[in-house]
Amino acid sequence: MIAYILRTLIKMCVTLFVIITLVFFATRLSGSPMETFLGEGLTAEDRELMIAYFGLDQSIWQQYLGYLRGIVEGNYGLSFLERRPVADIVAERVGPSLQLLASSVLLTVAVAIPLGVLAALYRESWVGSAIMALAFVGYAVPNFVIATFMVLVFAFMWNLLPVVGNGSWAHFIMPTIAMSGVLIAALTRFTRNAMLDVLGQDFMRTARAKGLPETVVILKHGLRNAGVTVLSVLGLQIAGLAAAGNVVVESIFSWPGIGELLVQSAITRDYPVLQFGVIAVSLAVVVINALTDIAYAVADPRIRLAKA
Amino acid sequence: MKALLTTTAALACLATGALAQQITVGAANVSSYLDPGRDHSNVGSQFYYNTFDTLIGKNHDSIEADWQPALATEWTMIDPLTMELKLREGVTFQNGEDMTADDVVFSLNRMYQATFPPYQVRSKDRLANFAEAIKVDDYTVQVKVEREEPLWETLLNLQQVMIIPEDYTKALSGDPQVAEDGDFEAFSLAPVGTGPYAVSEFVPGEKVVYTRYDGFWGDKAPLEQATVIRIPETASRITALKTGEADIITNVAPDQLGLIDADANLKTEGSATALFHVMIMNVNHPALEDPRIRRALSLAIDRDTLNEALWYGKAIVPSTHTMAEMGALHQPDLVTFEYDPAEAKRLLDAAGYDGTEITFDTDPVYYTNGLLAAQAIVEMWSEVGVKGRVNTTSTWSGSSPDLMVRNWSNPMYFADPFGSFGVMWAPNGPSEGEGRFNTDAEYAEIWDRFRFSSDVEARKAAYAELMERIKDNPPVLPLYRPYESWAMRKGVNWAPKPGHIPYVLDFRAGSISLADS
Repeated sequence: MIAYILRTLIKMCVTLFVIITLVFFATRLSGSPMETFLGEGLTAEDRELMIAYFGLDQSIWQQYLGYLRGIVEGNYGLSFLERRPVADIVAERVGPSLQLLASSVLLTVAVAIPLGVLAALYRESWVGSAIMALAFVGYAVPNFVIATFMVLVFAFMWNLLPVVGNGSWAHFIMPTIAMSGVLIAALTRFTRNAMLDVLGQDFMRTARAKGLPETVVILKHGLRNAGVTVLSVLGLQIAGLAAAGNVVVESIFSWPGIGELLVQSAITRDYPVLQFGVIAVSLAVVVINALTDIAYAVADPRIRLAKA
Repeated sequence: MKALLTTTAALACLATGALAQQITVGAANVSSYLDPGRDHSNVGSQFYYNTFDTLIGKNHDSIEADWQPALATEWTMIDPLTMELKLREGVTFQNGEDMTADDVVFSLNRMYQATFPPYQVRSKDRLANFAEAIKVDDYTVQVKVEREEPLWETLLNLQQVMIIPEDYTKALSGDPQVAEDGDFEAFSLAPVGTGPYAVSEFVPGEKVVYTRYDGFWGDKAPLEQATVIRIPETASRITALKTGEADIITNVAPDQLGLIDADANLKTEGSATALFHVMIMNVNHPALEDPRIRRALSLAIDRDTLNEALWYGKAIVPSTHTMAEMGALHQPDLVTFEYDPAEAKRLLDAAGYDGTEITFDTDPVYYTNGLLAAQAIVEMWSEVGVKGRVNTTSTWSGSSPDLMVRNWSNPMYFADPFGSFGVMWAPNGPSEGEGRFNTDAEYAEIWDRFRFSSDVEARKAAYAELMERIKDNPPVLPLYRPYESWAMRKGVNWAPKPGHIPYVLDFRAGSISLADS
């Protein structure tokens, strides 16, 4: 088990190292921060001055080594623009993003799993067809369309919900639904398919034969077994969302999250912020994957045994 | 459920400031730092006037250069190179410190004798002539220049020489007796000035909260609190105005004005900003080296049509690089740029234009209507036989040797041709520095007469000579002064004042009032 954990950790470090390196060089290839920071043009002399001020006058390898050294020492650099530690800037943004991610996952699980189970149980009736049709539409409509539509109806026309920031629980309603739309659609389909696989299994027949009530059969024997597939899909989707999925939603709702920060720092070429932001997000993805593995093992004793 | 949601939305509105004497502004962008000295961005200029003062003030209700006492109560020349200023007594900074000559000397010399690179950069393009500030006594300072300065008041009214507290700033990092780079970096996250509003909360890039400073030396600030929050999406900004989450919003696109004006509870205010959207042409690109080609590219553009189509005729198309705000130096009768497709065709023939594709670079969103204007311009070029292509890029290509043509802006940093054309197109200025504009000894000599002549007529004549040079060998075409709009609740009485530099959110006494408070 220790060897397994060590292996996972080393793998994680290698992944992060590759990401750090890629991000470091990719940001520098994408353009210079000089113009975006200093407005309308610079004289040649001023350019030199500012390049030195930002430490960009060193060779790219020196910069790279300095950056790696900083990471090891826990110093991730100062934002070019704000001149304060990037870790502080990113830390400010992680909270709101995680909140939105959590509310979206809760809503997704609360809606998609019951819908998926219902769609499997009533697959022959109009109920199942209706659910699957909805899921199909939900999957096809991008989150910014859902978001814009909701803003138009619930804020612009009816003035029921706020659109700016994360100040109260009401602020969560529209962004959460917008973020969850595609997730719910996908997870409903996966839940249905997983349940269909399970419903035909021998142990389900046995459970019914034992005289267990149908709800217990469905929930305890059916859903528990279907859950493994559902969990793995959910984990992947959450990771995807954490990585990039919320940029547009954050922008529409002026949500002070990390997606928006990454886009802004990419536009202004604020290398230190961009680098640390991408690393933080990568770390989140890696951790979510690890958590999914653990949840997996909890849900399915066979996985636990195999991995031990 | 509906009742509950309505209540919540109402509460959210209250929480964000629809209360009396409080407002919330939804801005397209919020600064990442707040330091009037190093900043000259359009985003930044929104924020400084509420919190900081200059020595010499200005009547912003007028475009005339109507100078007013501010932190200095009087100023006199004691010799041709030295101005002496008497400081207002009893002025305090928002942190409670008294403002004295030490703070003034510190603030001015941080720019005049800059050591912090961002100050050096800002200082050189407009304050190069200012040598130093000297304390005479606690309420008297002298400012010395290298050469006789025709623009004393203008250059003491600049955002960059707003006054900041010495002791507070020096103590922000490292040695509290020494001004270090770290002090200025820390200041820009926790700014303090002498103005009517203190910055009570600042989340870089997200939010600025102004709170009335009761110790302000001038007229009491009309608002208790003003919060500026970033709402990047235009549609969200307009929605926030409708839901009451914002009382004023910035950067309303021209095609959205009708939507807002149609709402009985809302209104719009706007003005043609003191800034040109310009087209720049790389004089050193092989395909554009012949001035006749660039003249043709310029003459082919019907800017009035662009104005009608993109700005509903509300922008201002200039005949030369000049603005009414420049007072005595405003020269609207100079004709440097015009529309003459026949002449464009003739010049192209004469230059032997061979059909080389000419690219027009534009960011997809940075300038309002920038992409549409680029597309229209390329169409206008094709009518005189130029093969053009719009190249959408979010990278600044102005310093690339491959640049052919792109859009840019020439703001009016202060009300003088030196504050607009003069900053951007000076010898060794940013345009020449980026390698897309050349000057020679003759140009430098004319420029010098324009910059330093003490006689207004001599400055005007020299400027006209510069414009002739630009006309014959054009690196730039000012397209128009864009029409910039703000929208607000009907109960908010606010409008951009004509005497400000572009985009200033002025909430001082006499600049804003709330009808329902």
